[in-house]
Amino acid sequence: MTTRITRNSSDLHAISATQKGLMQRIWEAKWLYIALVLPLTLLIIFEWIPAISALYNSMFIWNGGKVHIFVGLENYENLLTDRTFRVALQNLVFFVFFRVIMQTLFPFFAAEMIVNLRSQRWTNWWKIIFVFPMVVPMILNFLIWRFIYNPQVGLLNQTLELIGMGDLARAWLADPNSAMWALSFVRFPWLPTLQFLIILGGLQSIPKEIHESSQIDGAGFWRRMFYIDIPMTRRQITLAMILTMLFMTQRFDLFLVMTDGGPGYSTMVPALQLFQSAFNFLEFGYASAIGVVLFVAMLGLTVLNLKVSAGAVD
Amino acid sequence: MNKEMTTNDKHNRRINWLHDLPFQTILIAFGIVTFFPLVLVVITSLKNNTQFYQSFWLPTFPLQFNNYEVAFSRIWRYIFNSIIYSGSAIILVGALSSIAGYVFARFKFPFKSFIFLGFITLVMVPSVLTLAPRFIMVRDLGLLNTPFALIIAWVSSGLVLSTWLMRSYFESLPQELFDAARVDGAADRQVFFYVSLPLARPMIATVAMTTLIATWNDLIWPLVTITDRDTMPLAQGLMQFSSSFETEWGPLFAGYVISSIPLLLVFVVAMRQFISGLTSGAVKA
Repeated sequence: MTTRITRNSSDLHAISATQKGLMQRIWEAKWLYIALVLPLTLLIIFEWIPAISALYNSMFIWNGGKVHIFVGLENYENLLTDRTFRVALQNLVFFVFFRVIMQTLFPFFAAEMIVNLRSQRWTNWWKIIFVFPMVVPMILNFLIWRFIYNPQVGLLNQTLELIGMGDLARAWLADPNSAMWALSFVRFPWLPTLQFLIILGGLQSIPKEIHESSQIDGAGFWRRMFYIDIPMTRRQITLAMILTMLFMTQRFDLFLVMTDGGPGYSTMVPALQLFQSAFNFLEFGYASAIGVVLFVAMLGLTVLNLKVSAGAVD
Repeated sequence: MNKEMTTNDKHNRRINWLHDLPFQTILIAFGIVTFFPLVLVVITSLKNNTQFYQSFWLPTFPLQFNNYEVAFSRIWRYIFNSIIYSGSAIILVGALSSIAGYVFARFKFPFKSFIFLGFITLVMVPSVLTLAPRFIMVRDLGLLNTPFALIIAWVSSGLVLSTWLMRSYFESLPQELFDAARVDGAADRQVFFYVSLPLARPMIATVAMTTLIATWNDLIWPLVTITDRDTMPLAQGLMQFSSSFETEWGPLFAGYVISSIPLLLVFVVAMRQFISGLTSGAVKA
């Protein structure tokens, strides 16, 4: 019989457990190990080995096949002087900065409107309405926005023409001056679902009494927002920001689908450069080095995320 | 007295309605901008190219329903594939994570914390780090261009968070429940199947939904492992599809509408789980 965690009557088990040898206890728990073998094997083969391989192979020149030459830290040194990588980092900083502001401000504002409603029915409806665009496959967001930015028949240029600002129309994605901006606004009026739900959840968890007493004290909408709502949803707002940073640092499907880093390198980001190094140029060592740099950059954020999200989402 | 109450009620409702008005106005404006691109896609999906170039904004008649036939014949395969792949991933992640989570939550055995660390540390490892070496692994295992390349990789990355979620859930259940089942003479296996699993239904739904959204939307991994058209999942297939209808806007957008239907159905049927599945993605970003 296996030892079971018991809260009330554990003494008996505890005593017998200390009296038994390690091998005996392992033998008795054999079914538990067997239950864990399959998931553990999967994790070792598809997570642990690749992760360790990335660290190890970042010190090699490797084409993914027979060419496998140890070069020490050369890949990392090359990254320091790689112009593409520098541009990619600058783009990423711009992009993350912009998205963090946008993807916190708009969800917060929408959520603030929703919690101000007295109608319970509409509170639920609006939540559903703003989550709805999630049913559109992610790739379609990009494809639809590619259509919006289309120079000839795109929604954006058509709208500009309709309101008499046709001379502002341009090839948004093909123009290096506008490409990064255009990408920053992809999915724009659609709220980032996760961030929206987190902030809304935070606002909804503020006790009703606090809002009522602030109303009695004569606090209006803005005062209430700045002195009650923002301070009391600090954790959720922080979490939304960290999540945006994490997503934007590692996700590059947006860039791959819409511009593939172009025109020139004007929309290149590190994760996309990693992808291209590995799968277009077969520089798996160099790609691994980029991966390690991104991993280290994200590590702090991830730890922070785990700490904050444990309390902010229920 | 009774009459007074009802007028009072009416009065209150009027006040509430007036109070909500400015917020509702802003929200409605927001809602219109949100749905506008979607509505335009649906409108355009019912036009042929002549109609599209004649009138960009408004619906035109006759409605071209055959756009949907054309699009469906090209896209059904990808949708079918995705349903099979995501379905298998959901079943496997659900089964493996609930067993592992249960074992970690309710039993004591040597090296338990060490093994659990082997699961949980991976929350810190971003997919971008493992992308290239994982491709090499899958290639060396001879899995390229097979559904297994997708399903197995999705299952293993899904397991990390799901096992954690399941473990926390099983830990939160009161011990008395399990004791009672054992007093009634249930064996370990029976306790798991007849007590624990039914209780964990909400958490299993969350895990299923998280897995569904993650796998349904994954584009990068299929791009590097699948090149055979008949094996592609929907996300990747849509890229193929969109380049093959480059300037035929009607069928193109009809395909976009069709490919949104599966998740739409899930959303309508299981809204609560859908939303909770979204937020638990916060832990592993």
